[in-house]
Amino acid sequence: MTVAVKLSPFEQSLVEALPASAALRNELTERGLPHRRVEEWKWSDLRVALGRFEPTAGAMSVNASRPADEHVALDRQPFELMPRLAAALGGACAVYDLTDGETLELDLQAEAGAGHGVLAINLPAGVSARVEERYRVADGAFANLAILITVAEGAELTRIVQQDAAPGGVLVATSGLEIEAGAQINQTTLAFGARLARLETHVTHAGHGAHFDLGAAYLLGEGLHLDQTSVVRHTGPHGMLSQLSKGACARGGKGVFQGKIHVERAAQKTDAQMQHRGLLLDERSEIDSKPELKIYADDVLCAHGNALGAIDEDALFYMRQRGLPEPKARALLTESFLSEPLDAIGDDATRERLTGRLRERLAALS
Amino acid sequence: MLRIENLHARIEAEDGDGREILKGVSLQVPAGEVHAVMGPNGCGKSTLSYVLSGRDGYEVTGGEILFDGDELSELEPEERAAKGLFLSFQYPVEIPGVPTLTFLKEALNAQLKARDEGEISAPDFMKTARETAKQLGISADMLKRPVNVGFSGGEKKRMEIFQALMLQPRFLILDETDSGLDIDALKTVAEGVNTLRSEKRGMLVITHYQRLLDHLKPDVVHVMADGRIVDTGGPELAHQLEREGYDKYVGEAA
Repeated sequence: MTVAVKLSPFEQSLVEALPASAALRNELTERGLPHRRVEEWKWSDLRVALGRFEPTAGAMSVNASRPADEHVALDRQPFELMPRLAAALGGACAVYDLTDGETLELDLQAEAGAGHGVLAINLPAGVSARVEERYRVADGAFANLAILITVAEGAELTRIVQQDAAPGGVLVATSGLEIEAGAQINQTTLAFGARLARLETHVTHAGHGAHFDLGAAYLLGEGLHLDQTSVVRHTGPHGMLSQLSKGACARGGKGVFQGKIHVERAAQKTDAQMQHRGLLLDERSEIDSKPELKIYADDVLCAHGNALGAIDEDALFYMRQRGLPEPKARALLTESFLSEPLDAIGDDATRERLTGRLRERLAALS
Repeated sequence: MLRIENLHARIEAEDGDGREILKGVSLQVPAGEVHAVMGPNGCGKSTLSYVLSGRDGYEVTGGEILFDGDELSELEPEERAAKGLFLSFQYPVEIPGVPTLTFLKEALNAQLKARDEGEISAPDFMKTARETAKQLGISADMLKRPVNVGFSGGEKKRMEIFQALMLQPRFLILDETDSGLDIDALKTVAEGVNTLRSEKRGMLVITHYQRLLDHLKPDVVHVMADGRIVDTGGPELAHQLEREGYDKYVGEAA
């Protein structure tokens, strides 16, 4: 479909900010921002979410716990439109080369207006390090962030992502991870949604004993939308992926889960498991999901599961019969449901902190 | 203590049409007494336990449930629990992810709060839990598990009585507590129930069989058939039922 779209004033402002020669400029002019007729964005219409967005520059900052090692022009281009835009408009790329035992904290804060940013994180071979990200987007803000991560041979990355509820903000955070042989990655996300939030993760998985543990919990209240999209491409043999995403939507909340596992011909003996479980807390809540497997190797172990349901009424009555008020019983059941992905966090203090935040959010919504 | 007068109740169906299950149940359990309700399958015994405890989907269409003189019919399940009503479930529910002791402590404190009593301290709660578990032959490992998860039928029944001992309710309804128990477990569970007998507490024991009653020694036995109490007598009535079956009553009710 190549019907040119009529650009909004905000889209027009993005086009004008790009260099005249950029291919991206033509692409954006022709297609506009991603919208529901683009397959990958069918449940998250960014054009609509930003339809009346004022084309003003905002103040978006990523405060890091230490200075970047360098600021460079990006040498490799992300593939998707939004991170390309982030790279093109976000200025120089801040690069962090992590050392063994290091914890890097990144605090994204976006004030009203549009902001773009790009950063790169590299774990050299054998290094074990942590990255903790927090995304806070104010009312009237649009934040577009691209993060490029490389995890070299045998390195270990623990990545924690927290996304605060942002009822009046729009967030697109796209990360691209390249993981080499024998690398171990444990990524856990706790997200509460935004007017529209898209957390997109692209992984190139080299296998050879590399293990990617991808967990996420989300809890969405009224008017909050969270889209979690992941694409994991297995390129070498003996790679492992275990993905577990669990979410709950209260009245007026909307969750989207799109997970794709792509196993190339060379990636024999891949073991990839993807599970998504959704809890609909109200008749007026919505969760859309699309798990996909594309397998071109013939000796692999791949599976996906996807299930949506409501609170177990038998359990609810049982708890109330013992004296728990209904909202408390519901909150406890929801917490226990959502805690599972967080239980995979190895560090006790971090796990308890995230579970605590989940509990607070549940209390605020019940 | 518990007075049920001409109680009519139905199960609400999806299509809005209800089926009447209780057709005028009347009985009284004074404080300090243990009453048994016996009856054939489908007579409404379990429905009675759900109606008394306030489960959604069970609608009282007539009559009264008076607990210490207060009408219960319009109260939420948790409000009835706070008044001291405890149902030992025929099929205790598994709740993955919620540790047993966390659940019980939250439940106990919610009840105490509803009654304007002070919360129990964590050390006191743990001490009582350990002692009670020991009494019932429940291991520390079982207490650490999520509520009822991975337990056999008999272990679940034992945990129900553990919960009752922890919550110290004023009135117990035991719904088929003997089902799924072997002879030794039955004895342990019955001993647990017997320690709860007191002048201030009433019990309603719903069962098919005589064997639990041998241990609990009820003061009064009621026979239920087709949604009504059709006979009431002393403990000897249970023995008579064990010998003769329910045929006589089923015929009468029909």
